[in-house]
Amino acid sequence: MATTVMIVDDSLFMRKMLRDILTEEGYEITAEASDGEEAVLKYKECRPDLTTLDIVMPNKTGIEALQEIMAFNPQARVVMCSAIGQESLTTAATQAGAKAFILKPFNPELVARVLREVAEG
Amino acid sequence: MDMSQYKNLFLSESREYLRAIAEQVVALEQSPAEKGAIDSLFRAAHSLKGMAASMEYGEVVLVAHGMEDLMARVREGALEFGAGVADLLLEGVDLIDALLADVEADRVESRPTEDYAQRLAGYTPAPRGKEAPEPPRDSPKPTPAPPEPEKAKEPSGETGGTVRVKTELLDHLINLTGELVTNKHRLLNIGRELGSPALNDAVSETAKLLRALHDEVMKVRLMPFEAICDRFQRSVRTLAKKSGKELQFELTGREIGLDRGILEQLVDPLNHILRNAVDHGMEESAERVAAGKPARGVVELSVIRDRDRIQIRVRDDGRGMDPQKMIDAAVKKGVITPEEGELLSPRQALMLSCMPGFSTAKEVTDISGRGVGMDAVNAAVQKLGGTLGIESDPGAGSTFTLRLPMTIAIIHALIVQCGGVKNAVPVTAVHRTVELSRRQIETVGKRQTFLLDGETIPLLSLNRVLGLPLGRFPDGILPLFVTEAKGRRVGIVVDRLLGQHELFVKPFGRPLSKMAGLAGGATLGDGEVVTILDLADLL
Repeated sequence: MATTVMIVDDSLFMRKMLRDILTEEGYEITAEASDGEEAVLKYKECRPDLTTLDIVMPNKTGIEALQEIMAFNPQARVVMCSAIGQESLTTAATQAGAKAFILKPFNPELVARVLREVAEG
Repeated sequence: MDMSQYKNLFLSESREYLRAIAEQVVALEQSPAEKGAIDSLFRAAHSLKGMAASMEYGEVVLVAHGMEDLMARVREGALEFGAGVADLLLEGVDLIDALLADVEADRVESRPTEDYAQRLAGYTPAPRGKEAPEPPRDSPKPTPAPPEPEKAKEPSGETGGTVRVKTELLDHLINLTGELVTNKHRLLNIGRELGSPALNDAVSETAKLLRALHDEVMKVRLMPFEAICDRFQRSVRTLAKKSGKELQFELTGREIGLDRGILEQLVDPLNHILRNAVDHGMEESAERVAAGKPARGVVELSVIRDRDRIQIRVRDDGRGMDPQKMIDAAVKKGVITPEEGELLSPRQALMLSCMPGFSTAKEVTDISGRGVGMDAVNAAVQKLGGTLGIESDPGAGSTFTLRLPMTIAIIHALIVQCGGVKNAVPVTAVHRTVELSRRQIETVGKRQTFLLDGETIPLLSLNRVLGLPLGRFPDGILPLFVTEAKGRRVGIVVDRLLGQHELFVKPFGRPLSKMAGLAGGATLGDGEVVTILDLADLL
């Protein structure tokens, strides 16, 4: 069975790009969310194997959403998406339980490799 | 990865972010400490930067990055959100907008992005007091606190079960639905000829379904008023600044949906009315204070839905218009005769502003230009099947009300016969129909008129306007309909009134589209083609 992924980003453009990259890699995109609040709700509903979570979002930031997801499922595998220049936020995210980071703009090979590593634990 | 496939999505989403930024900037100017708006501005610039970086559009990245950093400074409290910041952000919006247009057209232009980014990075606000002058303290009434600005919506993607559809596809659907309506009338005719109750039943059932289909398809074409309102916020802001007037712009009803086609046609007329309100309607602060009004004027743009019609209102609390002064000015300019002036009601006098070549501004400013305008506004509104109303209270302000249909493609029209030609007039333009006896016609000077509800109404022959042979009326009864032209009621005489009909309007192609007075064509149930007249243009 294909590994399921939920993509969270407030930009439709970014979600579409990630969806294309991950579908190409054989992942099954089971949910998408466009803000932090929706991400938490959908996570509880869909229980994806992997979640990609943007940091800068409305209605709960990525970090806040991450904390709630980890509280709901401490085994959750969440990869944070961040832009260059947001390195200061990575500590907070790692402490909250993020498994890895992917940087925007996305490099398809890098994204694929990071997700594979996180999926395989 | 081939990024060209993402170009359209990039462009459309980027423009949504730009619109959101422009709205938030204006909102923040009215309540600069609104944290939600500050965050939202920051996020929009941040998202723009990320998207542009993915597409490798370096110049967009540079500008968006600068805006993001500026907002980060505001967010951290290092910088106050003032007019200087607002100006810079709006400049950035315009710059990115231009860059996006370049991208869309595959064009390489040189834009001052470097210079802009440097100015952003080095920005420090002007010393306090210079940037925003305080209103005079001795004003008799305190300026009311501005209400919380409406929060502009975040641009949203296709979550929540919605999809993006090409507009051509929607137009196709409308077209097909329209053709079905025409065909229904054909079936009705056949049913009548055959006298088959079963067929009639089936057709009337189909008619019900078609009505439902039409309503649903029309809903798809609806777009929220929001889609155009950021332009108004910006233009009012710019105008107020340019004319040195202090005012507050209030906008309500941005969520109300209108047909896309109507929405596009509304931008210019509304901009014009708003310009007039700021430029001519609104007094200088000193004049307002002297008149016992708050120093800060208010211009309101509100949209409300009234069953299947939309009402758009622009109201200002400025100096208002004096009907008698309007009449005097019109007489002086030779637009009307003194005798005509005496017959006008206050409402009609205000509508004089819609006559070509009429302007009440004491002086011409470079903002509103030279009196072009209200006649064009009125014509545009009528073309959309709507009406324009003007109310004014001298000293207290003016209100311009546009009443518009929500959708346009299918209209109810009065079908009239002139010579061998059938014409259609949208019922929204028809005040009433009259069958006039020849004895009731009075001749005033060269004009023929008749009396309706105590008002003298001039008569015009539609045959003459269209260059057709004049009707004879052997029984001495002239059929006519009453409409409004240039702010006044006129009676339009035709050969016969054939009744109301539901029509699916199709625009004419060239060269017919170039002809004045024609709004389009439609097919009747029996296959006959009728011309839909644009009376505002024709008369």
